[in-house]
Amino acid sequence: MSKRAPNAALPPSIDGSPEFPQGHTETPPSDEALYLGRRGLLGAMAATFALVGAEGCRRPVEKIVPYGKMPEDIIPGVPSHYATVLQRRGDALGLIVESHEGRPTKVEGNETHPSSFGGADLVAQAAILELYDPERSTAPRKGGAPATWDDFDKELGAKLAAYDKDQGARLRLLAPPTLSPTFLRMRAALAQRFPKARVHTWSAVADSHAREGARIAFGKPFSTLNLVDRARVVLSLDSDFLQTESGSVRASKAFASGRRMRSARETMNRLYVVEPARTVTGNMADHRLRLPAGDVERYTYALAAELAKLGAPMGPELSASIARRASAEDIPAKWLEAVAKDLASNRGRALVIAGSRQPAVVHALVHALNAALGATNATVAYVPPADPDELDAATDLKSLTDAMAAGQVDGLVVLAGNPVYDAPADLAFGAKLAKVPFSVHASLFVDETGDKCTWHVPLAHQFEAWGDARSLDGTVSVQQPLIAPLYGGRSDIELLAQIAGSPERAGHDAVRNTANGLLLGGRQLAACSAPDDLGMLQCKDASGNTVPVRMTDLDREWNRALAAGVLQRGQARQMPIAANASAIAGVIGARKAPAKGALEATFAPCPKVVDGRYANSTWLQELPDPVTKLVWDNAAILSPATARELGVAAKDMVTIKAGERSITAAVWIVPGQADHSVALTLGWGRTKAGRIGNGRGFDVNPLRTSDALGFVAGVTIAKAGGEPYFLAQTQENNSTEGRPLAHEATLAEYQKKPNFAALDAPPPRSLPLWEQADYSKGHQWGMVVDLNACTGCSACVVACMAENNVPVVGKTETWRGREMHWIRIDRYYVEKPEIGATADEPAVVSQPLMCVHCEEAPCENVCPVNATTHGEEGLNEMAYNRCIGTRYCANNCPYKVRRFNYLNWHNDSVWKETGGLPETLAMQQNPNVTVRFRGVMEKCSYCVQRIQSAKIKAKREYRELRDGEIRSACQQTCPSDAITFGDLNDVNTAVSRTARIDRRFGLLAELGTRPRTTYLGKVRNPNPEMA
Amino acid sequence: MAYWEPIRALGEAPLVKPGSSLKDVTHEIARVTETPAPRGWWLAFGLASMFAGIFALSVAYLFYRGIGVWGNTAPVYWAWDITNFVWWVGIGHAGTLISAILFIFRQKWRTAINRFAEAMTIFAVICALIFPGIHVGRVWVVYYMFPLPNQMSLWPNFKSPLIWDLFAVGTYFTVSLLFWYTGLIPDLATLRDRSTNKLRQRLYGFFALGWRGSNRHWRNYERAYLILAAISTPLVLSVHSVVSMDFATSVIPGWHTTIFPPYFVAGAVFSGFAMVQTVLLIARSVFKLDRVVLMRHLELMNKFLLLTSLLVGYAYSMEFFIAWYSGNEYEMTHFLHNRPQGPYWWAWLWMVIPNCVFPHLYWFKRFRTSIPVMFVVSILINIGMWFERFVIIVSSLNRDFLPSSWGLFRPTIIDVSTFVGTIGVFFTLFLLFMRWLPMVSMTEIKGTMAQADPHWHGKDEHAKEPAAEGGLVPEGAE
Repeated sequence: MSKRAPNAALPPSIDGSPEFPQGHTETPPSDEALYLGRRGLLGAMAATFALVGAEGCRRPVEKIVPYGKMPEDIIPGVPSHYATVLQRRGDALGLIVESHEGRPTKVEGNETHPSSFGGADLVAQAAILELYDPERSTAPRKGGAPATWDDFDKELGAKLAAYDKDQGARLRLLAPPTLSPTFLRMRAALAQRFPKARVHTWSAVADSHAREGARIAFGKPFSTLNLVDRARVVLSLDSDFLQTESGSVRASKAFASGRRMRSARETMNRLYVVEPARTVTGNMADHRLRLPAGDVERYTYALAAELAKLGAPMGPELSASIARRASAEDIPAKWLEAVAKDLASNRGRALVIAGSRQPAVVHALVHALNAALGATNATVAYVPPADPDELDAATDLKSLTDAMAAGQVDGLVVLAGNPVYDAPADLAFGAKLAKVPFSVHASLFVDETGDKCTWHVPLAHQFEAWGDARSLDGTVSVQQPLIAPLYGGRSDIELLAQIAGSPERAGHDAVRNTANGLLLGGRQLAACSAPDDLGMLQCKDASGNTVPVRMTDLDREWNRALAAGVLQRGQARQMPIAANASAIAGVIGARKAPAKGALEATFAPCPKVVDGRYANSTWLQELPDPVTKLVWDNAAILSPATARELGVAAKDMVTIKAGERSITAAVWIVPGQADHSVALTLGWGRTKAGRIGNGRGFDVNPLRTSDALGFVAGVTIAKAGGEPYFLAQTQENNSTEGRPLAHEATLAEYQKKPNFAALDAPPPRSLPLWEQADYSKGHQWGMVVDLNACTGCSACVVACMAENNVPVVGKTETWRGREMHWIRIDRYYVEKPEIGATADEPAVVSQPLMCVHCEEAPCENVCPVNATTHGEEGLNEMAYNRCIGTRYCANNCPYKVRRFNYLNWHNDSVWKETGGLPETLAMQQNPNVTVRFRGVMEKCSYCVQRIQSAKIKAKREYRELRDGEIRSACQQTCPSDAITFGDLNDVNTAVSRTARIDRRFGLLAELGTRPRTTYLGKVRNPNPEMA
Repeated sequence: MAYWEPIRALGEAPLVKPGSSLKDVTHEIARVTETPAPRGWWLAFGLASMFAGIFALSVAYLFYRGIGVWGNTAPVYWAWDITNFVWWVGIGHAGTLISAILFIFRQKWRTAINRFAEAMTIFAVICALIFPGIHVGRVWVVYYMFPLPNQMSLWPNFKSPLIWDLFAVGTYFTVSLLFWYTGLIPDLATLRDRSTNKLRQRLYGFFALGWRGSNRHWRNYERAYLILAAISTPLVLSVHSVVSMDFATSVIPGWHTTIFPPYFVAGAVFSGFAMVQTVLLIARSVFKLDRVVLMRHLELMNKFLLLTSLLVGYAYSMEFFIAWYSGNEYEMTHFLHNRPQGPYWWAWLWMVIPNCVFPHLYWFKRFRTSIPVMFVVSILINIGMWFERFVIIVSSLNRDFLPSSWGLFRPTIIDVSTFVGTIGVFFTLFLLFMRWLPMVSMTEIKGTMAQADPHWHGKDEHAKEPAAEGGLVPEGAE
């Protein structure tokens, strides 16, 4: 019998009696039900089965179905896959989630969904771990004490009844920006019941400036959809569009498609990046200008002026207003002249992207520039946003806090989000919250905000609840629950419906109704009646005629939408739209000169924990930052020159002051950081994130004010004294030491010498020790990684952890060098004066490295117990049961890709205090992959479990394996399709075709290891005029 | 035992203090095991067994949690564990070298130290063998290394140098043990016959295998000893050659070196002699053995140390030369930059200075014959040779091919306690040996004395008449 409490979320049976027979000694449901017990698990699984059994018309369950009643279409051991969608900032990522017997385990991109096209980013990969986070909120709490949903419903009902009297004037809601049509519908329902209530929007990471910029330029807010794949020349103005900005997955796909370079005859795009701090996007730049964030606006004016000079049609008014503001001070002339020339000469194929951190005026001007460059509807499209009523986040939150301070708010419902932690410091949200008599926090975690609210209720995870979301391009998808809520949470839609008093209290019904509306809207029908006894609706078309609609038609479309993951495709690509030059000119003219200071601080969302919402994820904490390779911490990033000027060294603790506000943080030095700019990352220094996230890194929110969310000028940095901070990194050496490792060439060099990569690497010199195996028969698996496509975003690392049950070791052990990632991304700084890459401003090459499956593997010869051997299909295989852990193989691996279980990591590292890996986290683990015990070696297996299951499937269907049927986890998730995997023995496979590309080389091939994973050399496309 | 007489014309001197009688020898050596242990022994034993206890606790903790309690890590997957292993195996070399090779070359001066050195070999190899046993991740299946028929289709990979290693060291241990034990048999019989209580009689009697000193016994004994010496001799060369192949057959710069087998053998003999000398000097002063362990022996050992130091120094410089001469980028970076200038430069200095600088003192007779100098130098060489293995293992691994995976090794307290603990184990065993077994071979010592000459009639003018032997011992001389 499980010694844990049963799942508090177990639904009661229909007559309301407890599910367990009387006399059972189990403790009653309590707040301590941190873990899902065995019964809870079975219940949840059975519930999911029930849903699955009714595939297509998945109804919410009211009653647990016994496990013995085997649902159709479920074969134990064979996973099912469900399409769903994950709301992300500004874009909704279409996903396919793998589910083992009702237990979701792995997230993949949805190939039919235009926001992902099969790719996913690291945060989406880690979302599955958030679902199973053992420290999620498990039950409602009142004033910190455990309570029940009934208590909450009663109290809320009473409060709402009171609010009805004054039309909800004292009721406020606070929610993050939403992409969900149903949420908007429920919000409208709320406005009906409480016309005076307000729903405020706040997220620490939002696209408010972009919306405002679009409003200036077009009069209406539009979302910008960058069609990077159509662009030949891209200029990013402080935009990390390949990682932290909205829609990064689709942008990565599109960007990579412009650098595929299947032969030297092809062309590639060119990326200019102007940014203060190094990002993944800056790392991919062909030319990168490090400029403090505050100077980017000035740069934009200067560039616009230069473009105007070159005859870009911007209109006299705008040109004049730009000319007044343009100042090329401190900006290298070629960064204006050559860049402007390059953009102008690629009319219709050029694209300028503004970063969300930049002020609205920059966005507005960029719209004008894009229009002038002929980019509108060619390389950039404008799409109506999911929520047309969304206000500027900072202003909106300020109006809420002002009302709170004035005592005008009696009830505040925080629907997700953590404003106590991440609200701008000047708004003092936490202090003002105390003045609200009835505050409700609905969230996955009892976090800083949950702690301060009078009520906290658990929110259902996006994988547990029905919902929907509109992607950046307008595509609407349905969010399907993968599992019954583990802790009985409700979704934001359900809570909103509850407050609004909507009859659609069940999330499924609400979403279904929204979908029906959208489907009918798609047929130009509206004002439908309720279905009659025959399932017929009577709708009105545009001209007012009554049109009958069969309910079963709608059901069919709904089912198709669930299966495909797309309900309605976006159709907003060719909006006739024109930037209003005079409005932009007016705003530019009215703009005050930005405050100048010796030093600025920039704020950026962390690529891993975003704004802190994923701080309790072990995977993300342990994931090396794509730029700094730091784990378990953030840091204040300085350029080497600025650090010298300030007299600080890496790991020194410093006090960063902006006005009267100050924080303390550790310094990290990154070449390529703009001088006189310190880069700070949001989302760290949490105090109530949970065991994993608490006290990690440094909270920079105290420096962030509502008028300076992106960057703040005039900060001072002083040494705080004390011991240097302990920072852990996974890669301590940044240089290739001149070794021929990650080969690269400029486009001109590549055209001159197409097989530069193979030629630059010394030829194999060693003869094999043993008789060569015959690799000419059967499948011979191999992989090719395109260094030209890889951005270093690290989604593959998280995907691999999720797929292969890779354990987490913690900060100290990572510092020792014991991280277990099967795939790592080597990030080298390259000094190459001919492309302008110097020691202070090095270029970057990212090289993903996992076991390369050498045909002459040094590890295999030295294993005394034959634990690592070569399979017939060319895999270097680990037999964990044989391994005794001499570690000789790892010593002899020239790639150092083998990982040793120094301790029983799952239980003896970060979860040691709780007595081992929590059961919920074990639920995430892939049942097809052995969980390794201490003392054995492990490494990349090319996802052998996927190979085997595909082979079994093909065999059962009496057919050959198809190319592309087997995809490794890293390959599948890669948002830029840098990884190709398949059968090298078949000349027609994608991997064979890729392996024939002239840029191919084998890493350390000169050792005679004959690696199966090979690389395509990186090609840079510098502008000759920039030299 | 063939009789040996110093050839005075060659400047040879007697190996036993002139004037000693056979009884003196027997008495002096056997009394150590018969009289109560001196205070010094108890002190030393207490200290040594305390460290042995620390070792046991460290290993228990290691088994309980895993190899992670040590500091080795990626990319330095081997660190102190294998350093200690190689160091101890190296120390275990002198025993067989002194016993077997010098025996075959009829170097009679070995008799004073051979028992000692052999015991040291056995204990050092025990300490060495501990490490491959405990350093594996899953110690409970360490038997997978052995070619045991089983139903799991498991069979060792004979391509792996670790398997060669296992057999080489295992063979060496077995042969050394047999060799040592065979040599002990006549002496055990002596102790048996001198015993005054039942327990000693029984125990020594059991291990003496019924030795009666008959002609047939002596004939068999001498033949067996010679054969074992002949078997041991190639082992001296093979063990450390094979150990070196753990490294030499790998691909890692700093390991992938053809010079390793002779280099390791020279180093092993060097460190083995140094350790024999350290231990012998202590025993000599504690048990007042200066009658049998003469300055001449010590001086000869110092000459040997000088020779092997030169060999080792040659190997060090040859590694650098070949790295440069090969033109291989990885080799050059490793030897010319990482070793002397990398993060472990201090370890490299600890290797070079004690091993290649201090032994040069032995060009001078004054230092060769100074007990304090040789004691300090022998300890320095022990340390230097430990660092040699540390440098080879750790500083080769910490920076190999891909700079992205470079990293540092930082030892933990358990690393230290395990290593110091094995020194405790070694000295515990050694002190027990000194206390309960004849630490110098009475049989062989007597073979070098004038009395061993069948025609001896007290003609050695320096020797006094042998005292009445009273049939106390079955004497070695026939």
